[in-house]
Amino acid sequence: MSPFGISLRTEIGGVSLETPVIVASGVWPMDPALWPGGSLDGVGAVCSKGLTLEPRDGNPGCRIVESYSGVLNSIGLQNSGVEHFVAEELPALSQTGRPIIVNIAFETLADLEEALGVLKRSASKISALELNVSCPNVSRGGMTWGIHPDSLESAVTAARRAWDGILWVKLSPQAPSVGEFAELSQGCGAEAVVVGNTWLGTAIDNERERPFFENVFAGLSGPAVFPLALRAVWEAAGAVEIPVIGCGGVSRPQDALSMILAGASAVEVGTALFVDSRLPASTCRELERHLVMKGLSSVGELVGRARG
Amino acid sequence: MGPGMEKPGSPADRKGSLVFSRKVGENCRHIAVELGEATSPPAPGQFFLIREWGVFDPLLGRPLAPAASEGRRLEFLFQVTGRGTNRLASLPPGAALELRGPCGNGFPAPLGEKLLLVAGTLGIAPFLGVVSSLGEKVGVTVTLGVPGKGWEPFAEWCAEKIPGIRLNSDDGSIGRRGDPVEDCLALAGPGQELWGCGPEAMLRGLGRAYGKGCEKVLVSMERRMGCGIGGCLGCSIATLSGMKRVCVEGPVFDWREVFGEPLRN
Repeated sequence: MSPFGISLRTEIGGVSLETPVIVASGVWPMDPALWPGGSLDGVGAVCSKGLTLEPRDGNPGCRIVESYSGVLNSIGLQNSGVEHFVAEELPALSQTGRPIIVNIAFETLADLEEALGVLKRSASKISALELNVSCPNVSRGGMTWGIHPDSLESAVTAARRAWDGILWVKLSPQAPSVGEFAELSQGCGAEAVVVGNTWLGTAIDNERERPFFENVFAGLSGPAVFPLALRAVWEAAGAVEIPVIGCGGVSRPQDALSMILAGASAVEVGTALFVDSRLPASTCRELERHLVMKGLSSVGELVGRARG
Repeated sequence: MGPGMEKPGSPADRKGSLVFSRKVGENCRHIAVELGEATSPPAPGQFFLIREWGVFDPLLGRPLAPAASEGRRLEFLFQVTGRGTNRLASLPPGAALELRGPCGNGFPAPLGEKLLLVAGTLGIAPFLGVVSSLGEKVGVTVTLGVPGKGWEPFAEWCAEKIPGIRLNSDDGSIGRRGDPVEDCLALAGPGQELWGCGPEAMLRGLGRAYGKGCEKVLVSMERRMGCGIGGCLGCSIATLSGMKRVCVEGPVFDWREVFGEPLRN
């Protein structure tokens, strides 16, 4: 409860959060002992690193390049695999007092089903599953799951069948229509959609006359993508009944408020935490200030308020 | 100690203020930063991500190892190479900065009685405090390599800070002609511990010291850095024992972990 006596508690697709600020996947270490001092203040939930069925070393070569007001990354889903996560990482994460959202990536539906089978054993420690559909679909020549309606539908349907708990779908901004893809996810049984993920870009090393990244393209995040993500949130929120979680470029407390006013029920913060571990706390103060100023008493009253 | 609580020696975000910014030669800067609150003394090789406070472009902090630290004051050396360091170099005294750190493991206390430190240009930074802190207990020899012409002010500055430092330059205009690896190999021998900080090709070359009887060679690796706390995995490198984060398990690694088994001849 804030000094103003305002609760920022909110419910997102079946998950009760103390605040609407979520740490995005791939930002904080899986070992909570490494989280910077004060960084849990204002945090409503924490997403895991993108997990896969088998451990992955990730991409070789250059993985991160700064761009104008942003960062390009090509990590390649480096992770220790779901078995290791459940045995070694989830127990400590679940002791943090914050809901843990497990981000899961996959190359085949069989992999996804098997990975969810492993996660099921620890379902009580997992508040929601965040289905990452920005990873490549091997059966379609590596095309991203989330950019074709058929493959998105097959992935969400398979996850829904294999996972009894709460299912969020983290959409790809490369999808041709975020509204339609959000609606499709809702139709397949998702409890919420996360809009969205990193935006494909690239960078060239002029001295070497080659792309910086071995995979040529990389995901752009950071303040540079905020207006794009805000537009995507607006479109998704106009298309679905289920909650929309805004994700992309939120770098200041005011950005989070804008996303909520555009229709997001909560926001994920990512790259901004590379430089400001106290952003969740300052975001909560901004939300409280705004609620008081407008004479409102809950975050829910702010959701979509800019839509008129 | 719970998660997200401040722990001594582990990274935290702090605001700081630029005390001075001095040129040391054409492209190098020596700056001092006063933190709003004290940090635990960083080990040699630990680093801070430094950026201008509240600015989103450039966005990321630049990883710099302190050249000195005392209480709330930290000093750094950096070379002006791109947008971020240009921006840092242009800031006036009093400018607000944001620092995340101390990050990484740093060099562990040496076990032997003889320590040989090998630096390439700005790689000298983490070694500047070592001579004064270990000098009485351990025999410390420092050898530095610079390209040559134009680096005289920097080399002189280092020589003032570390009396007896051995200087090497590619063009022979400063100290000995040649690289610091050759100089180091001439000095290396049994019972000596070797620490290196500089370009990767130089660090790789230090593996030849095993052939001279050195049993322990530690190198400080450099990578593009995102979060600095082990989350983004942007700085991961392949090692003998799997992928390791330069910002958490490093930047200081055993030479063999990073480069494999050395040739003994």
